[in-house]
Amino acid sequence: MKTARSWFTPAFCLAACLVLSFCSAVRQGADILAGEGKISDRDRNSIVKASDALRSTFSDISEEEEYYIGRAVAAAILSRYPAVGNPELTRYVNVLGNALVLNSDRPETYAGYHFLVLDTDEVNAMAAPGGMIFVTKGLMMTCADEEMLAAVLAHEIGHVNGKHGLQSIKKSRLVDAFQLIGQETADRYGPEKLSRLTEVFEGVLGDIVATVVERGYDRKYEYEADALSVKFLSRTGYNAGGLTDFLNTLAADRSKGDPKGWFKTHPAPRERIDRAKPTIASLGGPAAAEDVRTGRFLQAIRSLR
Amino acid sequence: MKKSFKAMGVPAVLLAAAVFLLAETVVVKIQTTNLRKDPKFYAETLDVLKAGDGLEKLGSREAWIRVRTSKGAVGWIHSSAVEAKKFKLAAVDKNLRTEAAASEVALAGKGFNKQVEQSYRAAHGEAGYAAMEKMLQIKVLPSEVLAFLKKGKLGESGGSK
Repeated sequence: MKTARSWFTPAFCLAACLVLSFCSAVRQGADILAGEGKISDRDRNSIVKASDALRSTFSDISEEEEYYIGRAVAAAILSRYPAVGNPELTRYVNVLGNALVLNSDRPETYAGYHFLVLDTDEVNAMAAPGGMIFVTKGLMMTCADEEMLAAVLAHEIGHVNGKHGLQSIKKSRLVDAFQLIGQETADRYGPEKLSRLTEVFEGVLGDIVATVVERGYDRKYEYEADALSVKFLSRTGYNAGGLTDFLNTLAADRSKGDPKGWFKTHPAPRERIDRAKPTIASLGGPAAAEDVRTGRFLQAIRSLR
Repeated sequence: MKKSFKAMGVPAVLLAAAVFLLAETVVVKIQTTNLRKDPKFYAETLDVLKAGDGLEKLGSREAWIRVRTSKGAVGWIHSSAVEAKKFKLAAVDKNLRTEAAASEVALAGKGFNKQVEQSYRAAHGEAGYAAMEKMLQIKVLPSEVLAFLKKGKLGESGGSK
Protein backbone atom coordinates (compact mmCIF):
# COMPACT_ATOMS: atom_id res chain seq x y z
CA MET A 1 0.00 0.00 0.00
CA LYS A 2 2.80 2.27 1.08
CA THR A 3 4.71 1.37 -2.08
CA ALA A 4 1.70 2.10 -4.28
CA ARG A 5 1.35 5.57 -2.74
CA SER A 6 5.07 6.28 -3.14
CA TRP A 7 4.74 5.44 -6.82
CA PHE A 8 1.92 7.91 -7.24
CA THR A 9 3.85 11.21 -7.23
CA PRO A 10 6.53 10.32 -9.77
CA ALA A 11 3.99 8.51 -11.92
CA PHE A 12 1.84 11.65 -11.84
CA CYS A 13 4.87 13.76 -12.84
CA LEU A 14 5.53 11.47 -15.78
CA ALA A 15 1.90 11.64 -16.88
CA ALA A 16 1.98 15.44 -16.60
CA CYS A 17 5.11 15.54 -18.76
CA LEU A 18 3.39 13.54 -21.45
CA VAL A 19 0.22 15.63 -21.31
CA LEU A 20 2.30 18.78 -21.62
CA SER A 21 4.01 17.52 -24.76
CA PHE A 22 3.13 18.68 -28.28
CA CYS A 23 2.59 16.74 -31.52
CA SER A 24 6.18 16.95 -32.70
CA ALA A 25 7.46 15.84 -29.34
CA VAL A 26 5.12 12.86 -29.48
CA ARG A 27 6.51 12.00 -32.91
CA GLN A 28 10.02 12.36 -31.55
CA GLY A 29 9.29 10.06 -28.63
CA ALA A 30 7.57 7.49 -30.83
CA ASP A 31 10.53 7.46 -33.21
CA ILE A 32 13.01 6.91 -30.41
CA LEU A 33 10.97 4.13 -28.83
CA ALA A 34 10.54 2.46 -32.22
CA GLY A 35 14.25 2.88 -32.97
CA GLU A 36 15.15 1.17 -29.71
CA GLY A 37 12.72 -1.68 -30.43
CA LYS A 38 10.54 -0.81 -27.42
CA ILE A 39 7.43 -0.43 -29.57
CA SER A 40 6.57 -1.91 -32.96
CA ASP A 41 6.59 0.13 -36.17
CA ARG A 42 2.82 -0.30 -36.26
CA ASP A 43 2.44 1.24 -32.80
CA ARG A 44 4.80 4.03 -33.79
CA ASN A 45 2.66 4.79 -36.84
CA SER A 46 -0.52 4.84 -34.75
CA ILE A 47 1.05 7.31 -32.32
CA VAL A 48 2.26 9.57 -35.14
CA LYS A 49 -1.15 9.38 -36.84
CA ALA A 50 -2.90 10.40 -33.63
CA SER A 51 -0.55 13.35 -33.08
CA ASP A 52 -0.94 14.55 -36.68
CA ALA A 53 -4.71 14.52 -36.29
CA LEU A 54 -4.16 17.23 -33.68
CA ARG A 55 -2.89 19.68 -36.31
CA SER A 56 -5.75 22.03 -37.04
CA THR A 57 -4.77 25.66 -37.67
CA PHE A 58 -2.38 27.69 -39.84
CA SER A 59 0.08 27.83 -36.94
CA ASP A 60 0.51 24.03 -37.18
CA ILE A 61 1.95 24.35 -40.70
CA SER A 62 5.64 23.44 -40.43
CA GLU A 63 8.46 25.74 -41.59
CA GLU A 64 9.23 23.34 -44.42
CA GLU A 65 5.60 23.24 -45.55
CA GLU A 66 5.45 27.05 -45.42
CA TYR A 67 8.57 27.08 -47.61
CA TYR A 68 6.94 24.87 -50.30
CA ILE A 69 3.74 26.94 -50.20
CA GLY A 70 5.80 30.14 -50.47
CA ARG A 71 7.77 28.81 -53.45
CA ALA A 72 4.54 28.13 -55.34
CA VAL A 73 3.03 31.54 -54.45
CA ALA A 74 6.24 33.30 -55.56
CA ALA A 75 6.25 31.30 -58.81
CA ALA A 76 2.61 32.32 -59.42
CA ILE A 77 3.55 36.00 -58.91
CA LEU A 78 6.57 35.67 -61.21
CA SER A 79 4.44 34.01 -63.89
CA ARG A 80 2.35 37.22 -63.96
CA TYR A 81 5.12 39.84 -63.66
CA PRO A 82 8.68 39.70 -65.01
CA ALA A 83 11.52 40.80 -62.70
CA VAL A 84 13.64 43.89 -63.36
CA GLY A 85 16.99 42.49 -64.45
CA ASN A 86 19.25 45.06 -62.80
CA PRO A 87 21.80 43.41 -60.44
CA GLU A 88 22.68 46.69 -58.68
CA LEU A 89 19.03 47.42 -57.90
CA THR A 90 18.38 43.81 -56.80
CA ARG A 91 21.40 43.96 -54.49
CA TYR A 92 20.30 47.27 -52.97
CA VAL A 93 16.75 46.06 -52.26
CA ASN A 94 18.05 42.79 -50.77
CA VAL A 95 20.60 44.42 -48.45
CA LEU A 96 18.04 47.02 -47.30
CA GLY A 97 15.39 44.32 -46.87
CA ASN A 98 17.69 42.08 -44.85
CA ALA A 99 18.77 44.98 -42.62
CA LEU A 100 15.08 45.27 -41.65
CA VAL A 101 14.67 41.48 -41.40
CA LEU A 102 17.49 41.20 -38.85
CA ASN A 103 15.59 43.71 -36.72
CA SER A 104 12.24 41.96 -37.12
CA ASP A 105 10.54 39.48 -34.79
CA ARG A 106 11.12 36.53 -37.12
CA PRO A 107 14.54 37.05 -38.71
CA GLU A 108 15.06 33.39 -39.60
CA THR A 109 12.75 31.39 -41.85
CA TYR A 110 13.30 28.04 -43.59
CA ALA A 111 15.17 29.50 -46.59
CA GLY A 112 15.55 33.14 -45.50
CA TYR A 113 14.18 36.38 -46.98
CA HIS A 114 14.69 37.40 -50.61
CA PHE A 115 13.54 40.55 -52.40
CA LEU A 116 12.84 41.32 -56.05
CA VAL A 117 11.63 44.30 -58.10
CA LEU A 118 8.85 43.49 -60.58
CA ASP A 119 8.83 45.18 -63.96
CA THR A 120 5.39 46.83 -63.95
CA ASP A 121 4.14 50.38 -63.55
CA GLU A 122 1.44 49.10 -61.20
CA VAL A 123 2.10 50.37 -57.65
CA ASN A 124 2.22 47.29 -55.43
CA ALA A 125 4.15 45.14 -52.96
CA MET A 126 3.50 41.49 -52.11
CA ALA A 127 4.90 38.84 -49.79
CA ALA A 128 4.85 35.08 -50.28
CA PRO A 129 4.81 32.93 -47.10
CA GLY A 130 8.30 32.18 -45.82
CA GLY A 131 9.91 35.43 -46.97
CA MET A 132 9.95 35.99 -50.75
CA ILE A 133 9.00 39.68 -51.06
CA PHE A 134 8.19 41.69 -54.20
CA VAL A 135 7.98 45.42 -54.89
CA THR A 136 6.99 46.84 -58.26
CA LYS A 137 8.88 49.35 -60.36
CA GLY A 138 5.81 51.62 -60.03
CA LEU A 139 6.11 51.53 -56.24
CA MET A 140 9.87 52.20 -56.32
CA MET A 141 9.19 55.27 -58.45
CA THR A 142 6.53 56.46 -55.99
CA CYS A 143 9.08 56.46 -53.14
CA ALA A 144 11.06 59.67 -52.73
CA ASP A 145 13.74 58.26 -50.43
CA GLU A 146 15.10 55.17 -48.67
CA GLU A 147 12.83 55.77 -45.64
CA MET A 148 9.69 55.28 -47.74
CA LEU A 149 10.97 52.12 -49.44
CA ALA A 150 12.14 50.75 -46.07
CA ALA A 151 8.63 51.36 -44.68
CA VAL A 152 7.03 49.35 -47.51
CA LEU A 153 9.53 46.47 -47.16
CA ALA A 154 9.09 46.45 -43.37
CA HIS A 155 5.29 46.28 -43.88
CA GLU A 156 5.69 43.21 -46.11
CA ILE A 157 8.18 41.63 -43.66
CA GLY A 158 5.43 42.21 -41.07
CA HIS A 159 3.03 40.09 -43.16
CA VAL A 160 5.61 37.25 -43.23
CA ASN A 161 6.30 37.61 -39.48
CA GLY A 162 2.57 37.41 -38.75
CA LYS A 163 2.04 34.53 -41.23
CA HIS A 164 -0.83 36.55 -42.70
CA GLY A 165 -0.66 34.67 -46.02
CA LEU A 166 -1.10 31.34 -44.27
CA GLN A 167 -4.00 32.80 -42.28
CA SER A 168 -5.90 33.34 -45.53
CA ILE A 169 -6.12 29.57 -46.13
CA LYS A 170 -9.70 28.37 -45.66
CA LYS A 171 -10.02 26.46 -42.41
CA SER A 172 -11.91 23.55 -44.02
CA ARG A 173 -9.08 23.14 -46.50
CA LEU A 174 -6.51 22.92 -43.72
CA VAL A 175 -8.61 20.34 -41.91
CA ASP A 176 -8.71 18.28 -45.14
CA ALA A 177 -4.96 18.62 -45.59
CA PHE A 178 -4.08 17.60 -42.05
CA GLN A 179 -6.46 14.65 -42.20
CA LEU A 180 -4.89 13.43 -45.43
CA ILE A 181 -1.37 13.93 -44.13
CA GLY A 182 -2.23 12.33 -40.80
CA GLN A 183 -3.43 9.13 -42.47
CA GLU A 184 -0.18 8.66 -44.35
CA THR A 185 2.77 7.00 -42.66
CA ALA A 186 4.94 5.96 -45.60
CA ASP A 187 7.98 8.01 -46.62
CA ARG A 188 6.48 8.76 -50.02
CA TYR A 189 2.82 9.22 -50.93
CA GLY A 190 1.08 6.66 -53.11
CA PRO A 191 -0.52 7.87 -56.38
CA GLU A 192 -4.04 8.30 -54.97
CA LYS A 193 -2.96 10.14 -51.80
CA LEU A 194 -0.55 12.27 -53.81
CA SER A 195 -3.29 13.25 -56.21
CA ARG A 196 -5.62 14.26 -53.36
CA LEU A 197 -2.87 16.09 -51.50
CA THR A 198 -1.89 17.95 -54.70
CA GLU A 199 -5.52 19.04 -55.06
CA VAL A 200 -5.51 20.41 -51.51
CA PHE A 201 -2.17 22.12 -52.22
CA GLU A 202 -3.73 23.80 -55.29
CA GLY A 203 -6.61 24.98 -53.11
CA VAL A 204 -4.21 26.38 -50.51
CA LEU A 205 -2.32 28.30 -53.23
CA GLY A 206 -5.60 29.58 -54.66
CA ASP A 207 -6.60 31.00 -51.26
CA ILE A 208 -3.24 32.71 -50.74
CA VAL A 209 -2.77 34.09 -54.29
CA ALA A 210 -6.33 35.47 -54.25
CA THR A 211 -5.52 37.28 -51.01
CA VAL A 212 -1.96 38.44 -51.67
CA VAL A 213 -2.30 39.37 -55.35
CA GLU A 214 -5.97 40.01 -56.06
CA ARG A 215 -8.16 40.81 -53.07
CA GLY A 216 -5.81 41.93 -50.30
CA TYR A 217 -5.53 40.82 -46.67
CA ASP A 218 -8.15 41.37 -44.04
CA ARG A 219 -7.88 44.96 -42.77
CA LYS A 220 -6.78 43.87 -39.30
CA TYR A 221 -3.69 42.23 -40.83
CA GLU A 222 -2.88 45.39 -42.80
CA TYR A 223 -3.01 47.49 -39.65
CA GLU A 224 -0.93 44.85 -37.84
CA ALA A 225 1.66 44.94 -40.65
CA ASP A 226 1.77 48.76 -40.37
CA ALA A 227 2.38 48.52 -36.62
CA LEU A 228 5.15 45.97 -37.23
CA SER A 229 6.63 48.19 -39.94
CA VAL A 230 6.89 51.08 -37.47
CA LYS A 231 8.54 48.75 -34.92
CA PHE A 232 11.11 47.30 -37.37
CA LEU A 233 11.92 50.73 -38.89
CA SER A 234 12.54 52.18 -35.47
CA ARG A 235 14.74 49.24 -34.38
CA THR A 236 16.82 49.56 -37.55
CA GLY A 237 17.34 53.26 -36.93
CA TYR A 238 15.05 54.68 -39.61
CA ASN A 239 12.57 57.46 -39.07
CA ALA A 240 9.30 55.53 -38.84
CA GLY A 241 7.63 58.56 -40.41
CA GLY A 242 8.71 56.97 -43.71
CA LEU A 243 5.49 54.95 -43.47
CA THR A 244 3.18 57.96 -43.22
CA ASP A 245 5.24 59.83 -45.84
CA PHE A 246 4.69 56.94 -48.23
CA LEU A 247 0.98 56.71 -47.40
CA ASN A 248 0.59 60.47 -47.91
CA THR A 249 2.21 60.14 -51.35
CA LEU A 250 -0.21 57.31 -52.13
CA ALA A 251 -3.18 59.35 -50.92
CA ALA A 252 -2.17 62.09 -53.37
CA ASP A 253 -1.77 59.48 -56.13
CA ARG A 254 -5.12 57.95 -55.33
CA SER A 255 -6.77 61.14 -56.55
CA LYS A 256 -5.60 60.05 -60.00
CA GLY A 257 -8.07 57.20 -59.63
CA ASP A 258 -5.77 54.22 -60.24
CA PRO A 259 -7.91 51.27 -59.19
CA LYS A 260 -5.17 48.62 -59.49
CA GLY A 261 -2.40 47.16 -57.34
CA TRP A 262 -1.87 48.61 -53.88
CA PHE A 263 -5.12 50.61 -53.98
CA LYS A 264 -7.12 47.49 -54.63
CA THR A 265 -5.36 45.29 -52.08
CA HIS A 266 -4.79 47.75 -49.22
CA PRO A 267 -7.09 49.89 -47.01
CA ALA A 268 -7.34 53.62 -47.75
CA PRO A 269 -4.05 55.42 -46.93
CA ARG A 270 -5.81 58.05 -44.76
CA GLU A 271 -7.18 55.44 -42.35
CA ARG A 272 -3.76 53.84 -42.06
CA ILE A 273 -2.06 57.19 -41.44
CA ASP A 274 -4.53 57.99 -38.64
CA ARG A 275 -3.79 54.67 -36.97
CA ALA A 276 0.01 54.76 -37.31
CA LYS A 277 0.62 58.44 -36.48
CA PRO A 278 0.36 58.33 -32.64
CA THR A 279 2.93 55.49 -32.35
CA ILE A 280 5.31 57.21 -34.76
CA ALA A 281 5.01 60.48 -32.84
CA SER A 282 5.78 58.69 -29.56
CA LEU A 283 8.94 57.15 -31.03
CA GLY A 284 10.59 60.42 -31.95
CA GLY A 285 13.68 59.35 -33.91
CA PRO A 286 15.70 61.20 -36.53
CA ALA A 287 13.99 64.31 -37.90
CA ALA A 288 14.76 63.77 -41.55
CA ALA A 289 16.21 61.29 -44.01
CA GLU A 290 20.02 61.36 -44.17
CA ASP A 291 21.42 62.62 -47.45
CA VAL A 292 23.66 59.57 -47.75
CA ARG A 293 20.61 57.29 -47.67
CA THR A 294 18.59 59.35 -50.13
CA GLY A 295 21.67 59.46 -52.35
CA ARG A 296 22.11 55.69 -52.51
CA PHE A 297 18.37 55.19 -53.04
CA LEU A 298 18.34 57.56 -56.04
CA GLN A 299 21.49 55.89 -57.37
CA ALA A 300 19.88 52.43 -57.12
CA ILE A 301 16.67 53.42 -58.92
CA ARG A 302 18.26 55.57 -61.63
CA SER A 303 17.96 52.74 -64.17
CA LEU A 304 14.18 52.72 -63.70
CA ARG A 305 13.71 56.36 -64.73
CA MET B 1 14.80 -2.02 5.95
CA LYS B 2 16.19 -3.30 2.73
CA LYS B 3 12.67 -3.52 1.34
CA SER B 4 11.73 0.06 2.30
CA PHE B 5 14.99 1.34 0.81
CA LYS B 6 14.11 -0.43 -2.41
CA ALA B 7 10.59 0.96 -2.22
CA MET B 8 12.02 4.48 -1.96
CA GLY B 9 14.65 3.87 -4.62
CA VAL B 10 12.29 3.00 -7.46
CA PRO B 11 10.15 6.14 -7.18
CA ALA B 12 13.32 8.21 -6.74
CA VAL B 13 14.56 6.91 -10.09
CA LEU B 14 11.18 7.68 -11.64
CA LEU B 15 11.22 11.18 -10.18
CA ALA B 16 14.71 11.76 -11.53
CA ALA B 17 13.47 10.53 -14.92
CA ALA B 18 10.54 12.94 -14.74
CA VAL B 19 12.87 15.86 -14.00
CA PHE B 20 15.16 14.72 -16.80
CA LEU B 21 12.25 14.53 -19.25
CA LEU B 22 11.59 18.19 -18.53
CA ALA B 23 15.15 19.21 -19.48
CA GLU B 24 14.96 21.59 -22.41
CA THR B 25 16.10 20.63 -25.86
CA VAL B 26 15.63 22.72 -28.99
CA VAL B 27 15.76 21.53 -32.60
CA VAL B 28 16.81 23.56 -35.65
CA LYS B 29 13.68 23.98 -37.83
CA ILE B 30 15.14 25.91 -40.77
CA GLN B 31 17.40 24.73 -43.61
CA THR B 32 20.58 26.14 -42.13
CA THR B 33 21.66 28.63 -39.47
CA ASN B 34 24.84 29.67 -37.66
CA LEU B 35 25.96 29.05 -34.11
CA ARG B 36 27.29 32.46 -33.09
CA LYS B 37 29.86 33.52 -30.52
CA ASP B 38 27.66 36.35 -29.20
CA PRO B 39 23.87 36.97 -29.25
CA LYS B 40 23.84 39.04 -32.46
CA PHE B 41 23.74 38.27 -36.18
CA TYR B 42 27.03 40.03 -36.87
CA ALA B 43 28.94 37.92 -34.34
CA GLU B 44 31.59 35.38 -35.31
CA THR B 45 30.25 32.05 -36.61
CA LEU B 46 31.35 29.05 -34.53
CA ASP B 47 29.52 26.31 -36.44
CA VAL B 48 26.89 25.83 -39.15
CA LEU B 49 23.73 24.06 -38.00
CA LYS B 50 21.21 22.20 -40.16
CA ALA B 51 17.50 21.38 -39.95
CA GLY B 52 17.01 18.63 -37.39
CA ASP B 53 20.13 19.33 -35.31
CA GLY B 54 19.29 18.95 -31.63
CA LEU B 55 20.73 21.45 -29.14
CA GLU B 56 20.78 21.63 -25.38
CA LYS B 57 19.38 24.90 -24.11
CA LEU B 58 21.66 26.54 -21.55
CA GLY B 59 20.03 29.95 -21.19
CA SER B 60 18.51 32.88 -23.05
CA ARG B 61 18.79 36.65 -23.54
CA GLU B 62 15.84 38.43 -25.19
CA ALA B 63 15.20 36.49 -28.43
CA TRP B 64 18.56 34.68 -28.35
CA ILE B 65 19.20 31.23 -26.91
CA ARG B 66 22.54 29.95 -25.57
CA VAL B 67 22.98 26.32 -26.59
CA ARG B 68 25.42 23.42 -26.59
CA THR B 69 25.69 21.30 -29.76
CA SER B 70 26.15 17.51 -29.88
CA LYS B 71 29.86 18.17 -30.55
CA GLY B 72 30.09 20.22 -27.37
CA ALA B 73 30.36 23.68 -28.97
CA VAL B 74 28.61 26.43 -26.98
CA GLY B 75 27.18 29.55 -28.63
CA TRP B 76 24.06 31.55 -29.47
CA ILE B 77 21.19 31.03 -31.95
CA HIS B 78 18.10 33.12 -32.63
CA SER B 79 14.87 31.69 -31.23
CA SER B 80 13.12 31.95 -34.63
CA ALA B 81 15.50 29.27 -35.99
CA VAL B 82 14.53 26.56 -33.53
CA GLU B 83 11.56 24.65 -32.23
CA ALA B 84 11.40 24.18 -28.49
CA LYS B 85 10.99 20.69 -27.13
CA LYS B 86 9.43 20.32 -23.72
CA PHE B 87 11.36 17.17 -22.91
CA LYS B 88 13.67 14.60 -24.32
CA LEU B 89 13.30 10.85 -24.06
CA ALA B 90 16.78 9.54 -24.75
CA ALA B 91 19.45 9.52 -22.16
CA VAL B 92 22.74 11.20 -22.88
CA ASP B 93 24.09 14.27 -24.59
CA LYS B 94 25.83 12.37 -27.36
CA ASN B 95 22.40 11.14 -28.46
CA LEU B 96 20.98 14.65 -28.94
CA ARG B 97 21.52 14.63 -32.66
CA THR B 98 20.08 11.13 -33.10
CA GLU B 99 16.88 12.06 -31.28
CA ALA B 100 16.36 15.22 -33.27
CA ALA B 101 17.18 13.56 -36.56
CA ALA B 102 14.57 10.88 -35.83
CA SER B 103 11.97 13.59 -35.22
CA GLU B 104 12.87 15.43 -38.42
CA VAL B 105 12.66 12.21 -40.43
CA ALA B 106 9.10 11.83 -39.21
CA LEU B 107 8.31 15.41 -40.20
CA ALA B 108 10.26 15.59 -43.44
CA GLY B 109 8.32 12.91 -45.27
CA LYS B 110 5.00 14.53 -44.51
CA GLY B 111 2.73 17.29 -45.69
CA PHE B 112 3.42 19.76 -48.47
CA ASN B 113 6.84 18.57 -49.52
CA LYS B 114 9.04 18.20 -52.60
CA GLN B 115 6.95 15.28 -53.89
CA VAL B 116 3.73 17.35 -53.71
CA GLU B 117 5.49 20.26 -55.43
CA GLN B 118 6.67 17.97 -58.25
CA SER B 119 3.15 16.63 -58.68
CA TYR B 120 1.76 20.21 -58.73
CA ARG B 121 4.36 21.34 -61.28
CA ALA B 122 3.64 18.32 -63.48
CA ALA B 123 -0.03 19.31 -63.58
CA HIS B 124 0.36 23.10 -63.84
CA GLY B 125 3.59 23.63 -65.74
CA GLU B 126 6.78 25.34 -64.73
CA ALA B 127 5.61 28.95 -65.09
CA GLY B 128 7.50 31.20 -62.69
CA TYR B 129 9.52 28.42 -61.03
CA ALA B 130 12.83 29.19 -62.81
CA ALA B 131 12.57 32.90 -61.87
CA MET B 132 11.64 31.94 -58.30
CA GLU B 133 14.69 29.60 -58.01
CA LYS B 134 16.90 32.44 -59.26
CA MET B 135 15.42 34.73 -56.61
CA LEU B 136 16.22 32.15 -53.90
CA GLN B 137 19.89 32.22 -54.96
CA ILE B 138 20.25 35.85 -53.80
CA LYS B 139 22.32 35.79 -50.62
CA VAL B 140 23.13 38.68 -48.31
CA LEU B 141 25.88 38.35 -45.71
CA PRO B 142 25.42 39.89 -42.25
CA SER B 143 28.69 41.78 -42.86
CA GLU B 144 27.10 43.43 -45.95
CA VAL B 145 24.12 44.47 -43.84
CA LEU B 146 26.42 45.85 -41.16
CA ALA B 147 28.36 47.93 -43.72
CA PHE B 148 25.06 49.18 -45.20
CA LEU B 149 23.80 50.25 -41.76
CA LYS B 150 27.04 52.04 -40.90
CA LYS B 151 27.24 53.85 -44.23
CA GLY B 152 23.60 54.91 -43.88
CA LYS B 153 24.19 56.16 -40.32
CA LEU B 154 21.63 53.68 -39.06
CA GLY B 155 21.55 51.71 -35.81
CA GLU B 156 23.63 48.64 -35.14
CA SER B 157 21.55 46.87 -32.54
CA GLY B 158 23.10 43.53 -33.50
CA GLY B 159 19.90 42.23 -34.95
CA SER B 160 16.57 41.18 -33.65
CA LYS B 161 15.61 41.77 -30.03
